[in-house]
Amino acid sequence: MSTSESGPGAKAAAPKKGRIKTPRQPMPEQDPRRRRYNFEEVPRGYSEETAMLEASRCLQCKKPGCVEGCPVNIQIPAFIDEIAKGRFVEALLKLKEQTALPAVCGRVCPQESQCEARCILAKKGDSVAIGRLERFAADYARKHGGVPDPVKAAATGKRVAIVGTGPAGITVAGELARWGHEVVMYEALHLAGGVLMYGIPQFRLPKEIVQFEVNSLKRLGVTIHTDYVIGKMESVDQLMEMGFDAVFIATGAGLPMFLGIPHENAIGVFSANEFLTRANLMRAIDFPRFATSPIRPRRAVTVGGGNVAMDSARTALRLGAESTIVYRRSKAEMPARSEEVHHAEEEGVIFHLLTNPVRIVTDAANRVTGVECLRMELGETDSSGRRRPVPVKGSEFIVEADTVIIAIGNQPNPLVPQSSPEIQTSKWGTIVADPATMMTSKPGVFAGGDIVSGAATVISAMGQGKIAARAMHRYLTGKDPE
Amino acid sequence: MGSIELVIDGQKVEIEEGASVLQAARKVGITIPTICDHKDLNPYGACRMCIVEIEGVRGYPTSCTTPATNGMRVTTQSERLSTLRNRTLELMFSGHPNSCLVCVHREACEQHRPVATKAARSTRCGFCANRDECDLRSMALQAGRPELFLPTMYASYNLERDDPFMDRDYNLCVLCGRCWRICEKIHGKPAISIINRGKWARIGTAFDKSHVFSGCAFCGACIDICPTGTLTDRFVRWQGKPEQETTSACILCPQGCEVVAQGKSNQLLAYIMPAFKREAGLCALGRFGAAQLVNSSRRLIRPQVREGEDLIPYDWDAAIEAAAEKLKEQSGKITFLISATSTREERFLYGKLATALQGDILIVAADARAESPEIAALAAKIAGGKIQALVSNGTMLAEKTLAALGFSLIIDSFHSGTANQATVVLPAALLSETGGTFRSSTGEIRQLRPSSRAPGDARPEWRILRDLGQALNLDGFAYTRVEEVTSALIEDNAPAALPGEPRHNVRDLLGYYRGHLLSEIVPALAAFGLPVAQAEPESGVQESGSLILEKREIVPNMHYFKVQAPQVAKFSLPGQFVILMARETSERSPFTLVDWDAEAGTISLVIEEVGRSSRELASLQAGDRLAHVSGPLGLAMPIEKLGTVLLGGGCYGVGAIYPLAKALREAGNRVICAIEASSSYLLYMQEELAQVSDRLILATKDGSKGLRGGIQEVLAQVAQEEPIDQFIAIGCTFMMRMATEQSRELNIPTIVALNPIMVDGTGMCGACRVSVGDATRFACIDGPLFDGHSVDWDELASRRSAYSRQEIQALPQGVDLAALMHQPHAPSGCGCGR
Repeated sequence: MSTSESGPGAKAAAPKKGRIKTPRQPMPEQDPRRRRYNFEEVPRGYSEETAMLEASRCLQCKKPGCVEGCPVNIQIPAFIDEIAKGRFVEALLKLKEQTALPAVCGRVCPQESQCEARCILAKKGDSVAIGRLERFAADYARKHGGVPDPVKAAATGKRVAIVGTGPAGITVAGELARWGHEVVMYEALHLAGGVLMYGIPQFRLPKEIVQFEVNSLKRLGVTIHTDYVIGKMESVDQLMEMGFDAVFIATGAGLPMFLGIPHENAIGVFSANEFLTRANLMRAIDFPRFATSPIRPRRAVTVGGGNVAMDSARTALRLGAESTIVYRRSKAEMPARSEEVHHAEEEGVIFHLLTNPVRIVTDAANRVTGVECLRMELGETDSSGRRRPVPVKGSEFIVEADTVIIAIGNQPNPLVPQSSPEIQTSKWGTIVADPATMMTSKPGVFAGGDIVSGAATVISAMGQGKIAARAMHRYLTGKDPE
Repeated sequence: MGSIELVIDGQKVEIEEGASVLQAARKVGITIPTICDHKDLNPYGACRMCIVEIEGVRGYPTSCTTPATNGMRVTTQSERLSTLRNRTLELMFSGHPNSCLVCVHREACEQHRPVATKAARSTRCGFCANRDECDLRSMALQAGRPELFLPTMYASYNLERDDPFMDRDYNLCVLCGRCWRICEKIHGKPAISIINRGKWARIGTAFDKSHVFSGCAFCGACIDICPTGTLTDRFVRWQGKPEQETTSACILCPQGCEVVAQGKSNQLLAYIMPAFKREAGLCALGRFGAAQLVNSSRRLIRPQVREGEDLIPYDWDAAIEAAAEKLKEQSGKITFLISATSTREERFLYGKLATALQGDILIVAADARAESPEIAALAAKIAGGKIQALVSNGTMLAEKTLAALGFSLIIDSFHSGTANQATVVLPAALLSETGGTFRSSTGEIRQLRPSSRAPGDARPEWRILRDLGQALNLDGFAYTRVEEVTSALIEDNAPAALPGEPRHNVRDLLGYYRGHLLSEIVPALAAFGLPVAQAEPESGVQESGSLILEKREIVPNMHYFKVQAPQVAKFSLPGQFVILMARETSERSPFTLVDWDAEAGTISLVIEEVGRSSRELASLQAGDRLAHVSGPLGLAMPIEKLGTVLLGGGCYGVGAIYPLAKALREAGNRVICAIEASSSYLLYMQEELAQVSDRLILATKDGSKGLRGGIQEVLAQVAQEEPIDQFIAIGCTFMMRMATEQSRELNIPTIVALNPIMVDGTGMCGACRVSVGDATRFACIDGPLFDGHSVDWDELASRRSAYSRQEIQALPQGVDLAALMHQPHAPSGCGCGR
């Protein structure tokens, strides 16, 4: 494999002097006036020149804080150095040493609170745009057909089953397959990718990219069984009996929570999971070519302040709605990435902050006509470190809506824990795993991602996957991976 | 001809000589029932409902075929006539599914189902698209609930779907002959007539060919004149009765035919011919294509203006301003490329704009496109740099030609690659959304009247042009209504006539409209050999997936499947279900497992054909593959010894109770199975159920077999005979609800299998949530079996209908025409039936 001159920019590396003076390169984005009506990706990615310029800003710290800030320990200065030199495929290879999903992480990771927050440049100005560079390297190689398959270690003869094909499962599969284990993945839905397929919308993460990454796992020799519902077919115990040497459970937090307010089962009230699954996985946005009925909101109210709420509200907007977010705390407390909130605002999503829904209003046919809300004010700090919202008496008002999307979080999916009673679970239904190894109470059975941590992020699931993969390798071979 | 005088029911009637007795009666407001008679058809005398008594005439002549004569004395109402008419009606109904008319639950059921339920073949009024418009039904119901003693002889013809636009269910046909008679009247040589003899007589084409190859012109007259639900327009089959009818004109080609626009809730359902006359006939494109064009998902819905590489959505004011500014800059250099399908007002306004901006105007044929000589000549000029600015109301130019222009304004109704290259794109209203006038190629002026709402921000073209004129500060654009433009018109020329006659030959249909390939917007048109896009259509054939080993339609609309799914079979338990997808584009739809064989690795299912997804499944055959089978899902029924268990099944539930009955009997229970259907020919799996039950009870709504009534009547009867420890009901929501009410009165523990809409089936989405007691439960992971007495049935029924509009919209989609068109037809000889 060639290790030099993989990109045309190889001859034109940016001058080193410019490093500090160069401002952080903005990401070209689709105009919000246009993108609010389409499902095309919002950021358009760096050009080769911009990427090299941005990469040249990296100071190549001896003790890089960014790497510490990364849940999967990507060798950030190293891959950025390759980009700065115009060696884009090499940059991807560097990334691939630590992450199975660079094109995904470059898009959906909260870099501003992880790697980029630790960047030395952030102390005086803007950090290096690590996420954008990661995305650039992955996209470059994918578009130019230059993604070399990773080198596989000699077969160990060990068999591993992975339950769930979301970010945690994919990470473990990628690592273990590279280290020579035979990996079989089980996916309950008809397409692999988990939340990357059903949850995150096309305009944030094109589904072709997810399928590209899934296919690269297959090229590594990973077997993926879709339509395979572990817990309803084999249980985890039965997988072990079938001759798997270890099992990794990564079934995610796929059980939507509702508010528990009156008329929540009215027609037009959806969990964010349903709303997004119809649009993303089932491709109702391509109705009628795809048969799943789309939701065509005129006035959509999304309840919640996380990334899923932003995804839902922005999807509703693109489906033609006047789209409103109702969140009971203030903007400062929103768990969503600031970039997502910013994008939503730019596109025209309306925010009703410090507002709490108390009742769904319906008509005689049980269809939603609005949401009754209460104004809130911030009180004392609560256990999450955020100021607790307190209702303002007599402040009830109604937000008109024909569609209400509940995006207040998910609980762990119970199918696997129910069918494997000997695996210890918490009172929240999550699987209890040793944080150092991700091993559950049953030897040989590991777990990671949202089924362990409750609803969290793609990258934290991948981080747990990394820990689990190393521990599983040790468990299987008695050695650390090289 | 002179006039004559006769007496009908004691009333004197004066009428022109040559009129029939029926016409004479109608003249004075006397109603005589009839089916086969139609004002635009010659008398036929087929249905024999219009019989009368005439003094001095033997027997009971049909009033439609009997000429009125001077001094005739006619009686239209008598006990004898009424008896005879009832017998006639009964005979007619013996060949027409009628169980709803005699069902004791009709009123309650119709309250539960305010609109008819979608189905493939209509096996009763409740499943018939024509329910609210049926002459037969209204005649039967006029005198209260009819008593029909003759059994229904269901003919069991296949639903004919082997053409682009019609669904034909000859099981509903009463051979009134209206269809072939109107076909003969309009086309001279009818494409259809009565084929076969005796009880096998039915309407068909010569040699039973697909209508596409039968000479049928697809004018739709047969559909519009059919008094039953036999012949339907597939696109609007389940949309219900039209609410408005507006006379207007179709301007898709220079013929500019007069039409009646049928609409509902501001939406165009269909253009139909304004009168059943030869001259008034429509072509396939006008009759069936217009509504699909107007309702297409490819419509342009917002103004867009180019900023850099992107077209940016603008509001109208800003877009008009931007367009006007650029037009002013380009003044003296603009070519106007206008389609002949524009109204006179639009052409007039384009002309005024062109004059004011010192531009050239080029009016091109309705089907002009990049390859047309005049367009090619224009493209050459553009390529040569002679033309740099263009205004066009279509996409007749190729994408790359438009991209070469310095400025282009496209005013159009549909998305296209060409429009994506424009400087400004303005969305125009189409056909039934706009007013104005049109001069046909024969010189007549037709009036267009708007009757449907344009999608999104699309506006009538005349308004767009007026606003542009005003924004350019031009004189003579101060119109407020299109009629003012009409009166300002001076003279105009008729467009050139079409070379062919599309109203009588589908091969003469135009393939393009304003540069758009029509088959791209209405894919079904490809069946007529119209030009199609280069790209290969997606094949419906599934290469991978689960193999179908057996498949047959056991009774109308109920399809039995045996599928290879070893992993599902290995873990299946009674009460569980699977999620199926026929193709990669299908919905995920849940179906109860009917049987499985872990050793053979097979599962069995009974699938009722209702909407698009089940039709996609039903269209598969043994040897085909299902894209996805996922399961087993849901909680199984705990199998215990309970004593006597009564299992009631209806519709798909007849199959669904089978595994429960089998397991419960094996566990030592006394198992009574009861199955209901609206009529005897819809009962199925009797033998299989008899083998796993101690007693099998049949019930039909029309009393044609077993007990007359449904599961709740069976329950009441059995409860009188023996104690029931457990009742289980599986079937439609209405049946389960009614049966549950009965079991509550009888105080019998009841389990029901709920059937809400699902998406993933694994607890992830919550679409299937149901209220059971005080709790919200997910039917997919907490069910599907629940305590029937705690279920909130109103909520379930309403949630099940949440997508009824989209489901109807989805129905005409995804019909695999290629497969249907090549269906082998059984050799049927000359059609004489021998």
